Parts: sequence; structure tokens; C-alpha cells
Amino acid sequence: MRFRHRRVAAAAALAAAAVLGLPACSAVLGGEESLVDADSLVVGVKYDQPGLGLETAAGSGEFEGFDVDVARYIADHMGIPPENVEFVGLNSAEREEMLISGEVDMVVATYSITPARRTQVTFGGPYYVAKQDVLVSADATDIQGARDLEGLSVCQSAGSNSVARITEGLGIAVEGTEQETYSDCIEELRSGSVDAVSTDNLILAGFFAQTPDAFRFVNNPFTDEKYGVGLPYGDTEACEAVNKAISRMYQEGDAAEMLDHWFGETDLEMVHSVPQFEGCD
Amino acid sequence: MIPSPTTPSEPTRSNAPAEPAPPTAGSVRTGAARTGTYARDGWSRFRRWLATTPARVWLLTLVSAAAITGLFASAAYTLDQARTGLDVLGRGAGPQAMATTDLYLSLADMDARIADVLLMGTDHGLGSGREDALEQYEGSREQANESLLQAASLTEGDTVEERNVQEVLDGLGTYERLVTQALLRNDEARAAPGEVDAEALESYREATRLMHTELLPKAFNLGLDSSAIVRANHEDGQAAVTLGLLWVGGVGVVVLLSLLGLQVYLRLRFRRRFNLPLLAASVLTVALTAGVIQALVGSGGHQRDAKEEGLDAAMSLARGGAIATDMQADQSRYLLDPEQADNYQQVYLERSQQVLFRPVSNLADYYAAVDEVAASYPELPGADGSDPDDPGTLGYLGQRAHDALLPGQQDRLADVLGAYNEIQTQDRLMREAVRNDDLGEAVGIRMAVADSQNGTFATYEEALDGLTEVHREEFARGIRQGDSALSPWVWLLPAGSLALLLLVALGVRPRLAEYR
Repeated sequence: MRFRHRRVAAAAALAAAAVLGLPACSAVLGGEESLVDADSLVVGVKYDQPGLGLETAAGSGEFEGFDVDVARYIADHMGIPPENVEFVGLNSAEREEMLISGEVDMVVATYSITPARRTQVTFGGPYYVAKQDVLVSADATDIQGARDLEGLSVCQSAGSNSVARITEGLGIAVEGTEQETYSDCIEELRSGSVDAVSTDNLILAGFFAQTPDAFRFVNNPFTDEKYGVGLPYGDTEACEAVNKAISRMYQEGDAAEMLDHWFGETDLEMVHSVPQFEGCD
Repeated sequence: MIPSPTTPSEPTRSNAPAEPAPPTAGSVRTGAARTGTYARDGWSRFRRWLATTPARVWLLTLVSAAAITGLFASAAYTLDQARTGLDVLGRGAGPQAMATTDLYLSLADMDARIADVLLMGTDHGLGSGREDALEQYEGSREQANESLLQAASLTEGDTVEERNVQEVLDGLGTYERLVTQALLRNDEARAAPGEVDAEALESYREATRLMHTELLPKAFNLGLDSSAIVRANHEDGQAAVTLGLLWVGGVGVVVLLSLLGLQVYLRLRFRRRFNLPLLAASVLTVALTAGVIQALVGSGGHQRDAKEEGLDAAMSLARGGAIATDMQADQSRYLLDPEQADNYQQVYLERSQQVLFRPVSNLADYYAAVDEVAASYPELPGADGSDPDDPGTLGYLGQRAHDALLPGQQDRLADVLGAYNEIQTQDRLMREAVRNDDLGEAVGIRMAVADSQNGTFATYEEALDGLTEVHREEFARGIRQGDSALSPWVWLLPAGSLALLLLVALGVRPRLAEYR
């Protein structure tokens, strides 16, 4: 990221304050760098999540999806020209690490806000609240709610705890199976080797938006997954700017357009109103 | 006539060299040249005058006087900015932000009361009764309107937030229509306690969905935004004051140097050891500058305390309290909507986790974890960081528990945690009753929690109010002390500056008099 230097005066005053021995006051001069002063931005997005963050061709550096659109909208709202926004693909495990090391300035990658993560990352948003839901074959009409999964097999990707949320969280006995990725789970569901796939409804919607007739949501969502915009820890000003951008994105109808564009073909019940933010402190 | 004893003496001026004779007409060539000669003449005379001692004394005196005026101006300006900052925080944006934060609470409470009334059905005496619940609803509705007015005034000029306010206002109308419909249906159907009429439930589902997807998020975001406005005001104000403070210090040094210059010049010219008035002026300059700086730094510190320990903490607790209000209402929603019971149970856990977070994934573990926190406080489970999977005790209450520094805060927080644990205990009993198919028992437990007189949740709210009061007092104290650090300077600064000018005049007048 590069910074615009609008704050030369403040910085000079800061230096002078330090010289004069006024440490109590120097802290309030606002000399800390914030993303709101940047004129370029490196954004971390998923590269393997259709509909959310997907690299259009391996190694192309071109990404598409809802997350990517949201990041572009926010960058634009922060006054950063599109040509100065660079996208970097990352996986779930890399998100904290790349943000903390400064390799990326911002992470928009199905990044759920949790109290534990908030101790390391400042989150703008959420820009969408996804919910864990269950995807079943279109003809499995006897499954109407999570309770109907009793005794059936449910697929999750390696390292996920989606199935645990059903067995432990809701106390429903299902047979959990694991695949490398969710797209493998979707294949299993298509071939009939598993009865259901469960994870965030937005992720599921992204996978089956291509063949919407083959599957169906149980539409009995449980748990909130608050997708946040990961920012360097303590950058309150940027967090507030991101929140403002997200508010506008919903007010102007851009969010609804983006959601419809990426997930409109599915029977996902979408919320077109601004989510409840988590706060920037 | 008696001749006057004194005759007017000849002006001394007569001894002075004669004025240069006016130039003769012959010596004048052009008008322009004549003025040029005069100007050149005037300039050289001025330069000659400048070389004289009185001129130099005058000059140094003027420099000192200008510097003193500059000191006065910079100090007055900065003190005024500090006063404005305190005023905005203490009497403007601060209290308004607090009122905006209350909007969420009012809305959450409205939805909670309606859920309770629907759950009560025909048994109007459950808990603190139907009449009471409807009165509380009405009170919260009025409070919500009041908060919306405050929010509208605070966010004036911010198009995004103004629109949020408008949308909440509009949505509130729709919400009220839906819940009126739900209550009417349920009454017509004479629904028994815990068995809400299907049509009434349909209306309530729509209403609570509107509340939770549209109204509450926007209200919450408005509250956050007003915090952001306060933060930006505060930081800009503090930065301006710090900059002003540097000016005051710098100009103070200039005043001191000019007085020193005057002192040294007089000493060299008039061979006097000290000029006492000028010495006194130097001491006063140091005192004045240091005094103003100290007042500014002091009031800045008080203002920061008022904001961070007072307002920020109180608002954070208010948010936590509002989310808890919504959380306890999820008990009623869980009971009145069996189809969505799983979701409401999950949502209850999630909201609980926002209030007080422990790394657990289901309610049974959560009850145990909360019990542990309440029992071990002021020690906090997970605080030592020995377990990499345990981020510690977090959430609104957890955060407060980490920063408990104010007197009385720890005891109050212990009360809050105890009351919160009791809510969770009652929650466990209520869900056990549901599992045992004892709906009557479950509704009874729930309505005892919701009882507005002495219910479990009312006790929690009371404890929370006690804790919030500590922070409100800290806020008031910070503003008061900040004000009182600044207030004497309303007269001290002009008086001091005048005294400085007077001392300088006293210092140079006798010396100038020697040249009359």
C-alpha cells in the first residue's frame, strides 16, 4: 500500500511534541497510519470458492465473485482507483498471517468474525451474514429440517466443524463424512454417495449456482457466520470507513444486485438489508 | 497689570540645528526628483534615528509587546478549543451518542414484550402480567422515538446515516402494524399459554424478522456511527489542542527571548545590573506559559478519561445490555415457535456469546463455562493464555472484566456476572422442562425470568445499571475536572497578559524618560 501524505503538519507537530517532552499529547495527534490514507490496496480473497472468490484461470491473478465485488466497492468508496487495487488469492489458514505480516492490507474471503479472531484482527462489517444450512438433492423432499437428517450422512470439507455443529450443537445424530474440499462434497451429493452437504449457505449457493435444478436448500438455517472485512489490528478509522461503504452498498441497492448476480439462480433466501456491524473497537 | 512672574522660556528646540532651508526654486528640477529626495531624506533620517538608544529601546519594547499579544492570542485560542472539545463531549455529541445507543435497547425490548404477551396467551397473570408487559412495550416505543430524534440530530448532514434513521422510522410503523395484528389474532383465538395461534404466529414471525433483519441492525449501526462521530470529534479536538499547545510553548519562548533582549540591551546601555520589572515579567511569562500548558494537558487527560473510562465503557455496556435483552427474549421465541425452536436456541447461544464469550459450541458447555467465570471472578478463565485454543473471557462483559480499574467497578461487575449466571441457570431449567414435555413449567420459568418487577432478567438489568452508573459518574467527573482545569484561565490569561505589558512599560519608561 502507498500512503498519501496529508498529515505532514500533524507529523511535524508530533515530532515537535516528542522533542518538547509532551508524550501525553503526542498520542492524540492521530499520527498513526491508516488505510483510509492509502492510495493503493492489496486485497486477499479466496481463489477456490465459486461465486465468492475464484481465480478465473490458475495463475492469472484475475479473481471474480461476490467477495471480490464487495472489495472493489469498498476500495472505490475509500477513494482508491480500480487500477490500484491488487487481488491476492489465499486460503482460510493464511488469512490472519498475511494480514498481520502486512502482505495484504485487507481480507475479504468468507472470513467469519469471531471473538477469538477479533483479538488479532480488526473487522469491518459484516458485509453479509451467512448461515449454516444443509444442501440436499432436489428430489429428497422428505428432508424439511435439520432434524430430518437423523441417521443420514452429511459431508464436510477437511478441517471444518460443520458436522460437529449438527451433532454437538443441535444434538442430532448424523453420520459425518469428509472430503478434501466442498466441491468434492458436492460431487458426492450429485452421485448420491452422501445424503447432504452442510456449511455456510453462501458457500453452498456458490457451488451449485451452475446447476440450480439438481439441488435444494433445506432452508432451515442455524448459526450466523458473519463475513467481515479483515483489517490491520487497531485501524479504527479504516474500519469505520469500511462500515460506511457497506451501509451505502446496501442503501443504493448494489449489494442486492451483487447477491442476485452471484446467487440469484439458487433458492437461497437472501437478506438485502445491511447487517448488524460488530463495531470497530 | 501685574506682569506674569514667569515668562515663557524659549523652546529648547531653538538650540537645535536649524531646519534645512527649503530648497530654492532653482534647485528643483522635477517634481518626481523632489519627492525622491524627500523620501531618501526621510529614510536616512529614520535610519539615523534607529541608531539612537531610545529608538532601539522602543523597538525592543514593541517586539516584546507583540510577542506578549501573540502569547495571549495563541493561549486564548487553544483554551477555547479545549473548552469546545469538552463541551461537545460532555454536553453535545457524547450524550447524544449515548441516547442513540439506547435505540437498540428500546427496539429489542419492544420485540421482547410482544413475544412475552403472545406466550402468555389467556393467562394474563403470568410473570408481572400482560398489562405490565404492554405498558413496558409502550414505554420502549416512546423511548425509541425519542432516541430516533436524537440520532437524527446527531447524524444531520451524513446522508448514509440520515437514511438509516428514516428507514428505521418507516420500518417501525410496519412493525407496529404487524404486532398489533398478531396480538389481535391471538386474543381472538383465545390461545392458551405457550400455544400461540398459527395466524398470530405468522404475523409475529414476519414482525420479528423485520425487527431482526432491518430495524435492529440499522439501529445498532447508528449507535456505532455515533460512537465514531464522538471518536473523530475527540481526536480532531485533541490534535488541535496539542498543536495549539506547541504554539503557546513556542510563543512563550519568543516572549522570554524578547524580554531577555530588552534586559541585556538596557544593561549594556545604562550600566544597570537588573531591571526588576523586566525580571518580574520574565518570571511571569514562564509562569503563564507553564500554567496554560499544564491546564491544557490536564484538561486533555480528564477529557480522555471521560471518553474512554466513562462514555466508551458506558456505551459498550449499554450495547451488551441491549443484546442481552434480545437474548432473553429468544427464550420466549423458542417456546412460542416450536418449528423454529432449534434456530432460536442457536441464536440464544450466539447472543449469549456476544455478551460473555467462552470457547464452547453448545449450551450445556456454555452454562458450565459461565458458572466458572462467575465463580472465579476476579480471576478470569483462560486469561493466562496457557491454552492456545482458549482466547480467554471475551464479549461485552468479558472486556469490562479485563479493564476493571475504577473504584467500585469490581464489586458491581461481580454482581452483574452473578445475575448473568442466574439467567443461564434458569435457561437450563426452562429447556429441561421443554425436553420433559412440561410446557406449563417452561412457560412459568420463562415468565419469571421476564418479570419486570423482580424477575431474573430485571435483577440482571439492575446490576448492569449499577455498573454503568460507575462509568457514567466517571464520565461526569472527567468533564467536570476538565472544565475546572480550564475555568480559572478565563480571567488569569487576560490578567496575566495585561500584567506582562504593564511590567514591560514599567521597565522601559524610566530609561526612555532620560531622553526627554
